[in-house]
Amino acid sequence: MKQPLDKITWIDRDQLKPNNYNPNKVAPPELKLLKTSIIEDGWTQPIVINPDFTIVDGFHRWTISGHKEIHKLTKGKVPTVMISPKDLSQQQMATIRHNRARGTHSVLEMSNIITDMVNDGLDGSEIMSRLSMEKEEVTRLLFRAGIPKSQVFKDKDFSTAWNPK
Amino acid sequence: MAIRKKEYINTNVYDESLSRIRYLFDAFDKVVVSFSGGKDSTAVLNTSLKVAKEKNKLPLEVVFFDEEAIHPPTIEYVKRVYDLEEVDLKWYCLEFKHRNACSNEEPFWYTWDKDKKDLWVREMPDEAIKEHKAFKKGMSFQEFSPYLYDKSEGRIAMLTGIRTQESLRRFQVIARKKNDAYINSRAEKGRNQYRAFPIYDWSSEDVWLAAHKFKWDYNKTYDIFNQTKLYNNFLTQRVCPPFGEEPLRGLWIYSECFPDMWHKMLNRVEGVSTAWRYGNSELYSNSLSKPDHLTYKEYLNVILDSYEHDSKNDVKRTINQYIKNHKKESSRPILDTEINPLSGVCWQWLCRIAIRGDFKGRQSNTLKVQAMKEREKLKITLEEAIKLYK
Repeated sequence: MKQPLDKITWIDRDQLKPNNYNPNKVAPPELKLLKTSIIEDGWTQPIVINPDFTIVDGFHRWTISGHKEIHKLTKGKVPTVMISPKDLSQQQMATIRHNRARGTHSVLEMSNIITDMVNDGLDGSEIMSRLSMEKEEVTRLLFRAGIPKSQVFKDKDFSTAWNPK
Repeated sequence: MAIRKKEYINTNVYDESLSRIRYLFDAFDKVVVSFSGGKDSTAVLNTSLKVAKEKNKLPLEVVFFDEEAIHPPTIEYVKRVYDLEEVDLKWYCLEFKHRNACSNEEPFWYTWDKDKKDLWVREMPDEAIKEHKAFKKGMSFQEFSPYLYDKSEGRIAMLTGIRTQESLRRFQVIARKKNDAYINSRAEKGRNQYRAFPIYDWSSEDVWLAAHKFKWDYNKTYDIFNQTKLYNNFLTQRVCPPFGEEPLRGLWIYSECFPDMWHKMLNRVEGVSTAWRYGNSELYSNSLSKPDHLTYKEYLNVILDSYEHDSKNDVKRTINQYIKNHKKESSRPILDTEINPLSGVCWQWLCRIAIRGDFKGRQSNTLKVQAMKEREKLKITLEEAIKLYK
């Protein structure tokens, strides 16, 4: 059976237009993570559009494709697949399905993964920047596994010398 | 504490509140409404306005302390009240100290912090009063509020929308007093303000009924809450600063209902993003989830290590004080989970205190009770315990 993914088309981002109903709000830290994801892993998912080039899913990927670092990766082209919903309601449903069909990460599993990374020698600051996590999140996840912060965020400088009075 | 029973009287809460407020206007030099923008404030404001009109005492003085990260419809509502001709609203934007339970790195934050102007979640309103001669940056509301009015202004009644339905403690505050249950008999800190609670016996349904009957304007945040999971759960609907221990569980409300302000809140203090994601999970619970491979004694060090330098020292100092007290009471070592029947201390309990981030060390009563319970469990008297454990 033919699937939308059979035909991935690279289109100039300026030819696409956002829909006017998207309920999905992405906060700045997650938007930053999305950017990191494309910079580190490259484009792995196409943007879903309808035949008049309106975005059905992938609005935020499309948004950041206008940022300089992402733009230059593909000269402003973005991967798209086309679906043909028969009316607006069908198209909105497709948007909601794309947005909501996803899981949440369980705390304990996340805590285990981060612990493994640290045991593999990764530094706390690297985890922070590559996963767009606050220090608070990394600290709390590791704390749950009993790993002291000082083991993960090591002071890069020597401490100040002193003389006895 | 004995709670006196309720004695119902032959009038409804609305009419009774009006008589209470009439009395306050007669008995005090000045009546001021302490306004939060919440629904209970709305009830106090409107009943007071009615009485002030009757008594020709307009404009009515109202004070509002703006805590910066507040729901946008609250701000709009306060502005509408400010614009009322019969109201003289003092809109204070001061650098109050508040708890930030989202983060161990930054356990407190200051509203309208002048050093962090670029991080404010909204612009300071034009109406703002930014200074007060009795206020210093970092005061808590409780420290400052008794000094709000100069003594030369005479005896002042501060009308507050506290209702006994909200909590047992609040019921006790009201029920303890025999006469004039709704007026504090003493001024705060020996000054000139007397707190009064004219709507103490209203239920939240009464508040909404009055708003409906008399077409009172109100804070539209409640309409938004009613579209979320808080629907119909009147009692949990509070308007308060968002980063404290309890409120942080409701950060999702900001992210769902007010995304623009939310995006700014994410940068306002440390840990908001983390608290939003995990606020209702074990990462933010007070319950202990110690890893199996550590003892509580070892775990305590991990907990202390999770704090940033200054706060770490505060918590450490508290813990050391408890350890010192223990040594005074008993020559035995502190055990991991077994409570010492004289000092009341064990490492597990110290871990709990450290996780809570106890900066004040106000737990000596708890320890006494814990030690006593332990003696009961072991079936020994205090004298026997002293022989065995001293």
